[in-house]
Amino acid sequence: MADQPLDDSPAGASTPPVGRRRLLGYAGAAGAGLAGGTALGWGTAAARPTPTPPAVAPEVIRQTYSPHEAHQAGITTPTPAVTRLVAFTLGELAVQPLSRLLKLWSSDIEALMAGRPVLGDPTPELAQAGVSLSVTVGLGPRVFELPGLAAAAPDGFLDVPPMQHDRLQARWCGGDLVVLVAADDATTVEYATRRLVRDARTFATPAWEQTGSWRGTSGGRAVTGRNLFGQVDGTGNPSGELLEATLWPTDPPAWFAGGTTLVVRRIEMDLDFWDRTTRERQEKVIGRRLADGAPLTGQVEHDALDLLAEDATGAPVIPTDAHARRSHPDENNGRRILRRGLNYTHTEVVDGVPVTTSGLVFCSFQASIARQFVPVQTRIDTLDALNDWTHAIGSAVFALPGGFAEGDWIARSLLQP
Amino acid sequence: MLSTLCLALLLAGCGGGAATSGSPGAQAPAPVVEDAWVRTTEGAKDTSMTAAFLTVSNPGDADIRLVSASTDVAGMVQLHEMVDSGGTKVMQEAKDGITVPAGSHVHLAPGGYHVMLMALKRELPVGEEVSLGLTFADGTTVAVTAPVKEFVEEEDHYHSPTPSMTTSP
Repeated sequence: MADQPLDDSPAGASTPPVGRRRLLGYAGAAGAGLAGGTALGWGTAAARPTPTPPAVAPEVIRQTYSPHEAHQAGITTPTPAVTRLVAFTLGELAVQPLSRLLKLWSSDIEALMAGRPVLGDPTPELAQAGVSLSVTVGLGPRVFELPGLAAAAPDGFLDVPPMQHDRLQARWCGGDLVVLVAADDATTVEYATRRLVRDARTFATPAWEQTGSWRGTSGGRAVTGRNLFGQVDGTGNPSGELLEATLWPTDPPAWFAGGTTLVVRRIEMDLDFWDRTTRERQEKVIGRRLADGAPLTGQVEHDALDLLAEDATGAPVIPTDAHARRSHPDENNGRRILRRGLNYTHTEVVDGVPVTTSGLVFCSFQASIARQFVPVQTRIDTLDALNDWTHAIGSAVFALPGGFAEGDWIARSLLQP
Repeated sequence: MLSTLCLALLLAGCGGGAATSGSPGAQAPAPVVEDAWVRTTEGAKDTSMTAAFLTVSNPGDADIRLVSASTDVAGMVQLHEMVDSGGTKVMQEAKDGITVPAGSHVHLAPGGYHVMLMALKRELPVGEEVSLGLTFADGTTVAVTAPVKEFVEEEDHYHSPTPSMTTSP
């Protein structure tokens, strides 16, 4: 059963098999010539449902976010279509240049997110309002090596220790600073990113850049979204009070109020191998159905996993090594993360030959990397069927400060308390 | 409405300059200066001079006139305007200052009015901050802090050959 209805047919209406759907589509202009209409159950041409354009998902697309909230945008705001992460290496690791950079960026971010050009913008016409633009700034571990700042590091803020299945490449790792630039369209992301990179020039140079997409709407509704394996990806994310407890430390250092931490893992996915895998096996690898993301033990996407359910042979319905089980809070002492994925397809020339890889830029948000992300990632690394199709090729961690007040700037209370 | 906005801006300090009134008991609301920035000298052919840009809003009922500017990073500061000179546009000192009509605003922006900073005492790399003082005809002064930003459009030397050497206040 497809989750993308061709039209606004009422819920419960059966979707014709592919052949009939195509016949309807191609024969659309033929109208009454569709003699088989009665047999298909669609009646006469006059009764054939007319596809209506999907409504815009009002809570996802065409949003305006503010950098002046308690938390930076881009963490709990819905993932828009395009996101680019750029990590930077600081030229001079010192408070004053870093402060100047963050002031410049704060001024840029305030303007860009409001749909205005930045100060001295060479392409002011590219500024546009209502494109769901968010820019999220993160501080890498080296910032806390500045004199006097070691004690200011958030609790549990550390690099992810090496995992057995990792094949990390230095070019996708680390970073002293990061910006996550997300918007409804790629042009906005490219424009905003360029302004931020140019304004950083005096102080920092780009270290790596990771761009990805996400499709968070379907038929005009907000949906969880799918990765390039076609899996519904992110169903298990916490919400409400659980989400608050997952993200925001209960007793942060004063400068970090409203902040959280970010782990960026570049996960390469073997799509060729996945394509050769039977659907049944694919669903057992995850523990969820592909069609709608429902757990194998449930009916709909958001049904809780029944980790105790057994089949007729006494084997667990959700296999022991299923990804959804291994990452489940019930198997991780209640540990949770907020995960937001971005699909990537990356082509580069290696020895004169174009090589294309695909995967997920996996962004994990949590109050404590050491207490939340690392134990869950270690459990997955120890055993998870998905490891046969995926491995991390990049890893980086950042502290994301809270939002900044008007007239103030990001992380000012850390650098100029 | 505009006065409320200006008041809110002044209270929030979001880029609006701090004003002091020149005449005691003056009723006119202070001019609001926003979005100030200075062009970097990085990569410039002539690093002895640069320009500052900003927007002046006049919430009052009467026209006001920006007459001079000052900063500690430049030996000489002038207000410049764009005029036609034999078919081409050139910059020259705006000897009469820059009028900001009542209830309106004026942009000092590339290609138009600007504050010319000459005889710079140091290089101005992107991200530095420059303190600027603006003086109006009635004696009101406004102080702003302007970030130095990149501006790479070709520097046409569109100034008239010998900028006047009158000192700035």
